[in-house]
Amino acid sequence: MKRWIGVGLALVLGAVVVLALVLGNGEDGSGGEQRTLTTVRGVIGSEKKPFFDDPAVRAAFARHGLRVEVDTAGSREIATTVDLRPYDFAFPSSVPAAEKIRQAHKIARTYSPFYSPMAVATFQPIVDVLAKAGVVHDSGAGYQVLDLRRFLDLVAKGTRWDALPGNASYRARKRVLLTTTDVRTSNSAAMYLAATSYVANGDDVVTSRAQVAEVARTVAPLFLDQGYSESSTEAPFEDYLALGIGKTPMVVIYEAQYAARLFAGGGAIRPDMRLIYPAPTVLSKHTLVPLTDRAAEVGRLLQEDPEFARLAARYGFRTADPKVFADLVATTKAPVPASLVDVVEPPAYDRLEELISTVEQRYLAGAKPSS
Amino acid sequence: MRRAIAAAAALLLALTAACGGNGEDAPPEDGPDVLRVLAGSEIKDLEPLLAKAAGAAGVKVSLSYTGTLDGAEQVANGGADGHYDAVWFSSNRYLSLIDGANARLSTQTKIMVSPVVLGLSRAKARELGWDTGRATWSDIAEAARRHRFTFGMTNPASSNSGFSALVGVAAALSDAGEALDQAQITAVTPRLTGFFSAQTLTAGSSGWLADAFRRRTDVDGLINYESVLLGLRTASGEPLTLVYPGDGVVTADYPLTLLASSPKKELYGKLAAWLRTPGVQREIMTTTARRPIVPEVRPDSRFGTAPLLELPFPNRRSAADALIDAYLNQVRRPSRTVFVLDTSGSMEGDRIDALKQALAALTGTDASASGQFSRFRNRETVTMLPFNTGAGPASTFTVPDRDPAAVLNRIRAYGDGLTARGGTAIYDGLRDAYETARGGPGGSGGTGGEDFTSVVLMTDGENTDGSSYEDFAGFYRALGTRIPTFVVLFGDSDVSEMRQVATLTGGAVFDARQASLASAFKEIRGYQ
Repeated sequence: MKRWIGVGLALVLGAVVVLALVLGNGEDGSGGEQRTLTTVRGVIGSEKKPFFDDPAVRAAFARHGLRVEVDTAGSREIATTVDLRPYDFAFPSSVPAAEKIRQAHKIARTYSPFYSPMAVATFQPIVDVLAKAGVVHDSGAGYQVLDLRRFLDLVAKGTRWDALPGNASYRARKRVLLTTTDVRTSNSAAMYLAATSYVANGDDVVTSRAQVAEVARTVAPLFLDQGYSESSTEAPFEDYLALGIGKTPMVVIYEAQYAARLFAGGGAIRPDMRLIYPAPTVLSKHTLVPLTDRAAEVGRLLQEDPEFARLAARYGFRTADPKVFADLVATTKAPVPASLVDVVEPPAYDRLEELISTVEQRYLAGAKPSS
Repeated sequence: MRRAIAAAAALLLALTAACGGNGEDAPPEDGPDVLRVLAGSEIKDLEPLLAKAAGAAGVKVSLSYTGTLDGAEQVANGGADGHYDAVWFSSNRYLSLIDGANARLSTQTKIMVSPVVLGLSRAKARELGWDTGRATWSDIAEAARRHRFTFGMTNPASSNSGFSALVGVAAALSDAGEALDQAQITAVTPRLTGFFSAQTLTAGSSGWLADAFRRRTDVDGLINYESVLLGLRTASGEPLTLVYPGDGVVTADYPLTLLASSPKKELYGKLAAWLRTPGVQREIMTTTARRPIVPEVRPDSRFGTAPLLELPFPNRRSAADALIDAYLNQVRRPSRTVFVLDTSGSMEGDRIDALKQALAALTGTDASASGQFSRFRNRETVTMLPFNTGAGPASTFTVPDRDPAAVLNRIRAYGDGLTARGGTAIYDGLRDAYETARGGPGGSGGTGGEDFTSVVLMTDGENTDGSSYEDFAGFYRALGTRIPTFVVLFGDSDVSEMRQVATLTGGAVFDARQASLASAFKEIRGYQ
């Protein structure tokens, strides 16, 4: 009985998709072309929404007879709770989430058209203070890094900003912590968890349950002690840009968020703002999992067509051909390194999920009076 | 079939009306270009700007207002789904802490920001050495404990400015570098009590607080949004000196938030994008004194240049609720409350039952968080004063500072025992209420003890017996008091005369003719 209802629902949804196709074909997209377009619907991480909304990107898809409609959701939700039936593709922001969907739907091939390293947006006075404390140093490859090992030591001691020696410029009594999004829902925080778990696990990728329990003890405070955190990656970065050092001295972001603003000009990145990288860092590899045949064409175009690579680079994403991003860096004189040296792999989906769940349990544990 | 649709539509309208809080708001009308927004009253000052959105962005914005906690609960339990397309409160932080709330929310777009800070009269700021605008919450707490100044603040359970201020003060005074938890709240409670001993004015909304402050000469300042304080003048017409605590603030960021249940994603997107265009951001800054959120528009000179440190906000609902609970039941100065209750013959039936239910809700039978926060508080003295053809005997209850259940049960039993008969001697009842509040057992004595004394007048009809409004007005003026009367319109109240009572006493009017008596009582609790 249950199965029949399921099939019936799928049929209804199928009809809705067909209807959407028919209606979608009726109204043309941008570009004023008269040919009919095939609508392809996807659910994506929110940081890629501006890219898909860009008229130039829509026009490029239209030239290939496609109209791509997207809804946004957190990468972890896409892999777990989002009903994927109305969609032709899922496009989470990390390999672990994409891998989970690929296995669940038995998809042979996925596409990873662009990626972005995890980075830290901060300010020159913060860089100076943390350099004095030995936590920030030069990578030797043309950019500065936040040494995660030393940073974790600082956090473990409960260090406050005003307790850092020689700190005259940022006398805040609050704890030295990076601002992140809510690790329970957001991929950027999960990627930060991936990088810090590597360090907490003795410079090795977490691969076992025993390691999860041990590592969680070290990394959970990075999230819990911040207090309230927001669910979308754009929100804390926006605070960083608009409210500055007082609210958000250091925020975990995708490099692409910062690079896109540099490339666009417009003064959003002010002179005292700095982009540094955690050492080690991890790459957020945006991976498209096609659920229907026509979505495979979207994935192929994004990965192979140079026009899409150029468009993606404008949004700060790095693509398979490093030259596209490097050229943009060169022409805009953006202070962004051409390549990064200290990059590690995130844990496999199940281990990362266990790490997140362990942190989540600590949120819940705090729901009871701690006495 | 037709009839079924009509019935469903009628039900929808009824539900929408009930969602309007005190029933003063019309149900939001729907349409393809209408975005129905459930909002905090704090954004009322944006109405003129939003009216332009229809022409400039093709979005008609229909606003309905509600209290912070009430609104949060309504969204979290799905009560807003289908009736509204978006919510717009000064912050989503408390809302996000409620289980299940995040699933109801879709895209969130921050529109503007305003920190919660202290505004003081110039003379007082100079006297305390804070006229440069810099002091810490610790400095402020020390001066407050020694009663060197007095201030007003909204009720943290009713209004986000009060809640943000409470979180900010508690976080700063707790000396913990991370977000507050239960243990830290317990530890900081004595310091909070010292701080709030200087609070002499409370309110359920920022707007009413500002109005009351303008009338009062004995309150030195307010803790509220920077945007409210920048526009405020003292009773003598002077602007306030704003003190930005150097140890941190809590900032409202006004996220316009699409409800996941709404199909109007594109309409929402249009409004959000328009509100963030540089021209509109500049207009928001100029006309409402809020800081812009887009980095392209820089705050003007009114906002100063010192960076504001943001204090960590609790990430667990239990911590947020424990803080509000501690404030209401342990920290704040206790209140003295007199309920003047119409028990005339016209109250017979549904009306007296509604009254019993509304009173019972204030004794703790309303299990929702907002219900728990509006119950009679520990240390509060409550007098019930029924009237019909004449004023009835007053019954006074004092809720102890711990284990309040027994007294709350007695108040509930008292309410359950009310019966309806006879005439309506409103002003004899009201006059007795003032005499009780001023003197007698549990009375507040002279004017110094009146800060948190108030009267609630609930009547369902016109005055038929005893003294007249004019008699009462003369009596009130001779009394030289500032105890306000909060009037509840119910049944067939004489609306214009009831408004006169509220205006005369510096109170306010709450309408329970459409919405429930219980929700009007609950709203009034924010002012007591």
